[in-house]
Amino acid sequence: MSLVAEPGLVAEGEQPEARSRGRSYGSYVVVKVLGSIGSLLFMLLVNFFLFRVLPGNAAQTLGRGRLNTPAQVAAFNKAYGLDKSVPQQFLIFLKSTAHGDLGLSVKYRLPVSQLIMDRLWPTLLLVGLSTILSTLIGVYLGIRGAWSRGSVFDKISTSSSLTLYAMPEWWLGLMLIAGLGVGFAFVPGIFPTGGLHSPDVNPSSLHGVLDTTWHLVLPVATLTLAYLAEYSLIMRSSLLDELGEDYLQTARAKGLRDVVVRNRHAVRNALLPTTTVIALNIGFVVSGAITVETVFSIPGLGLLSTEAIGVPDFAVLQGTFLVASAGVIAANLVANLIYGWLDPRVRT
Amino acid sequence: MLLPGLALGAPAQGKDKVVFKVAMLGEGVDSLNPFLGFQAPSYEMWGLTYDYLVGYSMKDMSPEPDLATKWSTSPDGLTWTFTVRSGVKFSDGVPLTAKDVAFTFNRVLAKDSVEGTNWLSYLTGVKSVTAPDATTVVLKLDKPVATLPLLPIPIVPEHIWKNVSESQMKSYPAAPTGGKPVVGSGPFRLVQGSADGSTFKFEANPDYWGGAPHIDEVIFQFYKNDDSAIQAVIKGEADFVEGINALEVKKLQSQPGITAQNGNSPGFDEIAFNAGSTSDSKGTKKIGNPNPAVLDPKFRHALGYALNLPQLITKVYQGAGLPGTTIVPPNYTAYHWEPPADQKMTFDLSKAGQLLDAAGYKKGSDGKRTLPDGKPIGTLRLAARSDSPTSLNTMDYFKTWLGDLGIDSQVSTYSSSQLTNVIYKGNFDAFQWGWYVEPDPDSMLSYLTCAQRQHSSDSFYCNPAYDKLYNEQHVNTDHASRVNQIKQMQEILYRDSPYLVTAYSAIGEAVRSDRFHCLVTQPNPGGIWLEQYGVYNYIHMKPASDTSACDAAPGLTGAVKTSAPADSSSKTGPFLIGVGALVVVALVGGGIVMMRRRTTVEDRE
Amino acid sequence: MSVSDAPSVRRLSTRQLTRQRRLASYRRTWRAFRSHRSGMLGLGILLVFVVVALAAPILADSKGLDVTLANGPVLGAPSSHYWLGTDDNGRSVLTLLIWGSRVSLFVGLSATVISMVIGTLMGLISGYFAGWIGRITFRITEWMLVIPFLPLAIALAAVLGRGLVNIIIVIGVTSWPSTALLIRSQTLSIKERAYVERAEAIGGGRWHQMGRHVLPNVMPMVFANTTLTVAAAILTETTLSFLGLGDPTRTSWGTMLDSAYQVGAITTGSWWFVIPPGVCVVLVVLAFTLVGQALEEVLNPRLRARQ
Repeated sequence: MSLVAEPGLVAEGEQPEARSRGRSYGSYVVVKVLGSIGSLLFMLLVNFFLFRVLPGNAAQTLGRGRLNTPAQVAAFNKAYGLDKSVPQQFLIFLKSTAHGDLGLSVKYRLPVSQLIMDRLWPTLLLVGLSTILSTLIGVYLGIRGAWSRGSVFDKISTSSSLTLYAMPEWWLGLMLIAGLGVGFAFVPGIFPTGGLHSPDVNPSSLHGVLDTTWHLVLPVATLTLAYLAEYSLIMRSSLLDELGEDYLQTARAKGLRDVVVRNRHAVRNALLPTTTVIALNIGFVVSGAITVETVFSIPGLGLLSTEAIGVPDFAVLQGTFLVASAGVIAANLVANLIYGWLDPRVRT
Repeated sequence: MLLPGLALGAPAQGKDKVVFKVAMLGEGVDSLNPFLGFQAPSYEMWGLTYDYLVGYSMKDMSPEPDLATKWSTSPDGLTWTFTVRSGVKFSDGVPLTAKDVAFTFNRVLAKDSVEGTNWLSYLTGVKSVTAPDATTVVLKLDKPVATLPLLPIPIVPEHIWKNVSESQMKSYPAAPTGGKPVVGSGPFRLVQGSADGSTFKFEANPDYWGGAPHIDEVIFQFYKNDDSAIQAVIKGEADFVEGINALEVKKLQSQPGITAQNGNSPGFDEIAFNAGSTSDSKGTKKIGNPNPAVLDPKFRHALGYALNLPQLITKVYQGAGLPGTTIVPPNYTAYHWEPPADQKMTFDLSKAGQLLDAAGYKKGSDGKRTLPDGKPIGTLRLAARSDSPTSLNTMDYFKTWLGDLGIDSQVSTYSSSQLTNVIYKGNFDAFQWGWYVEPDPDSMLSYLTCAQRQHSSDSFYCNPAYDKLYNEQHVNTDHASRVNQIKQMQEILYRDSPYLVTAYSAIGEAVRSDRFHCLVTQPNPGGIWLEQYGVYNYIHMKPASDTSACDAAPGLTGAVKTSAPADSSSKTGPFLIGVGALVVVALVGGGIVMMRRRTTVEDRE
Repeated sequence: MSVSDAPSVRRLSTRQLTRQRRLASYRRTWRAFRSHRSGMLGLGILLVFVVVALAAPILADSKGLDVTLANGPVLGAPSSHYWLGTDDNGRSVLTLLIWGSRVSLFVGLSATVISMVIGTLMGLISGYFAGWIGRITFRITEWMLVIPFLPLAIALAAVLGRGLVNIIIVIGVTSWPSTALLIRSQTLSIKERAYVERAEAIGGGRWHQMGRHVLPNVMPMVFANTTLTVAAAILTETTLSFLGLGDPTRTSWGTMLDSAYQVGAITTGSWWFVIPPGVCVVLVVLAFTLVGQALEEVLNPRLRARQ
């Protein structure tokens, strides 16, 4: 992706056809909301048919060595609706989704909505925390770097961001596990090497909360470092763009403190393109972080969907992709609405 | 404020509670409902929660009394009578009687029931199951069945499960709800866990009829990669790790406080050939395009002499495993047929060449072998599973050995789901896969019958003589004669070679022997400690602090002994250093930030 | 070079004039790029890896990749015989690393070609055409962006199967959206420019405009974006191989890391198996990123102004 921020990545829904001053905010909101609902419905349809091309079937993959007779295979398929034709399954899918029922997982024999809810909390903890931290730290680093361009801080910050950007996050995770979880030479391995919490600790107790936090330090650090590189580079880039503008010279000449000039004017304007990227990534929170979940054994949504691919467990795939798409669409909607409120020119 | 250090390396067991923590790798639990799940860890969960009518000997998994104290058959083999022991109670106090057994089995027998998907094959031929009184269960069959009394069906409480309708059963979680443990009669009670979760917590059942366990709790934690799980054991977050590889076992064997081993598992890996792919089990239409060479049993058998199995074990399995012979693993001493020396396939390329020549596959002028009719063999299509390194490496070696014989081949890789599709279409000449074999070999033997083609038969092997023997042994209640028939079947397969069994694999395990001892392997000796048939070790293991003798286990050897403790240096020291460092960095960083905030353009210029 | 410089005024054809102007601008670009320290550093690193990849057969015997011929110690530490130690099959890690560079670079570059072609086309179409064509292509682009990328790649890999060509297709087909968006916004802003309107007024057809005016002005951005896309493609290949989706018959840095991970490299202490492939990936991706960033600054007139 480009490291030079381009405004309005997904924020622009339509092409600017006329240079009008924009319609009212109200109608803008309506258009955007309808568009989002449309996208969501489109997702629903496409995701259903998309997964039908996956190879294999559940009875063979799961039941190898257990479903011994043809009668047993037939009973299994009948119980989980796999004996119906695809159009039939589609109708059932539409009907039940309209009622909020995401269907039954053929691997776990549990409602998909329950599986998603079970995995949602670890995912939010892991990815949500990382996104918040990386946004705050990344934006700050970008601002500082751009402001003091060429300084030692900027040099170190930019080169570290570039290096982190070039690093696969799971490899970083493995290094952190090896260095801080297992330990080497004189460095003690003080952090746990995997899992969301210690097996014998009740996660809802105070001890459990601290224990979970302790287990999350390395995974969250991994994801935070991975994400903040991108944010800091984009922020720095768009702020450097902004800093050349004339109106800022005026502000400085007036004797305003640097901090004020920076925060109240330049950053505000430079923040808008970064927000688009941030919104997109917040939306991706609910799709989980597959590689980090694998490396640190965190039971999140990312792993749920990847493991469903091998079966293939259609209901789980449909459900997780729906949730993931809904998250991104919702986040984008919010970003569009904020953008449209702040900058009326966008409301074409 | 509680220090998270309490959750670190220091043994997290309280003074009173003995907790056994297991780090599990690989597949997770797919369902806590014993009528639904397929995966091995699920069986472990049921084994702790419920009881079984018939148990398994630790020596060779042959049938032993469990809930049933004794059983007998009528002379015609059509009636089986089990005597259920009395005095067993479910965890909610309700007594377990023969009625619960009958209820459980009848749910399996219900027509097209989802309960049958898992267990119906163990009740083949059973017409009715009744409980004439509280301690007697009677099975009436319409034909004798030799697999009985193999009945790995967990006995569930009727008073709870009668409220689960057939339509509810397919998604009934059977998990703890509202803080109440799952109701069962087994040695432990599941108090926390759900199918897709990563943590399962069991409490000991002090009133267990087989004697209260010596430990208070068992907790399973599932990990996604070997390193995390093993490090958890080394650090003390877990006491046992199941499913590691031979290299890791070797590394752990040098670790103090830990005992690690490669245990023989009752499974085998094989190179399977396309012995004649057809579109249905009747064999009416040939499909796919198998190479004519692999359709010939003589060709396949000759290749058995081109496999250097000891080298495969050393290089591909890292020494953990045994060279393969027949499809009934040697663990099952009662049923395994060991090929006599003059019949055994050993690595002998010249003999392989001779056999191929004798069968008509002579080398042409270009050094490549031809079919008996003179046409070139062409390139054999070998398939390996991309999700298994042993699969790939085995086929790479096979290709080399085939090349040494003058036969060209090509290895393609597929995921397991894709390979299944390929097999069903018959578009292969050979592939590599493996099976687990149950204590009764009947189901494994059935996979090579004609009727299983396009079902569980992946080699499409069809031999009427073999089928005849299979049908005979299936209803043969005379054990000695049945064993004879089973051995004959293995001999037929060995000769026809639809499978070339390459290895009997091993499973790597490690236990904190400085914390727990008295674990015994199954089969004994040489088997594994957990995920056995039965839950012997959970009941009989003792904490290292309990220095009394291990429970009597006549005829069993090699119980894990207490070992010297691991390096128990407290981890809170380094932890405090770490926290301290972070605090210092934060303070210094914050201070710098604060001081910088105040500059204006003038200050900076 | 200006025509008025020449003492004898030679009549240059339009084509020759264009070519001379192009060459001059390339030279200017190169000079500007050369002054970019980080860009040159990236280029240098890149050259080293390309040379290693091309010279692989000379540097390391290809027989060293064969599992059946390997007879080194299993997970042996670096020694005088095996400079970077051995893997779990007894093969030299250094050999794997050298040959792995071929696959990693090849997959990265090929996938980028696919991604750039699709992305540029989709970007141009959705940016240039205002009607339903533009809208549909934009919707498709948007849809691909909304779907979580890695599960989609994994699903696609499951359908296609594992293999070198397949993984190239998977990466190419799932990574074009961000390029398309970039090209689209470039196209949109170019479309607004006066000379395009004038060309339309004169009567130039749609495709003529796209080909002659829009495309050449978009190309610099495309070029800069390509290097950044290669970086992303190499990262993706490494990740997909790590997740077990790479070509199992070939070694890439990603499959090396996957093997290390499966075999428990951390527990067995085999740092030589885990660190070098990762470091190589970081260096190559960093190199492409530096070059791409420098190119962007050089080619984007907006950015050049701020130097």
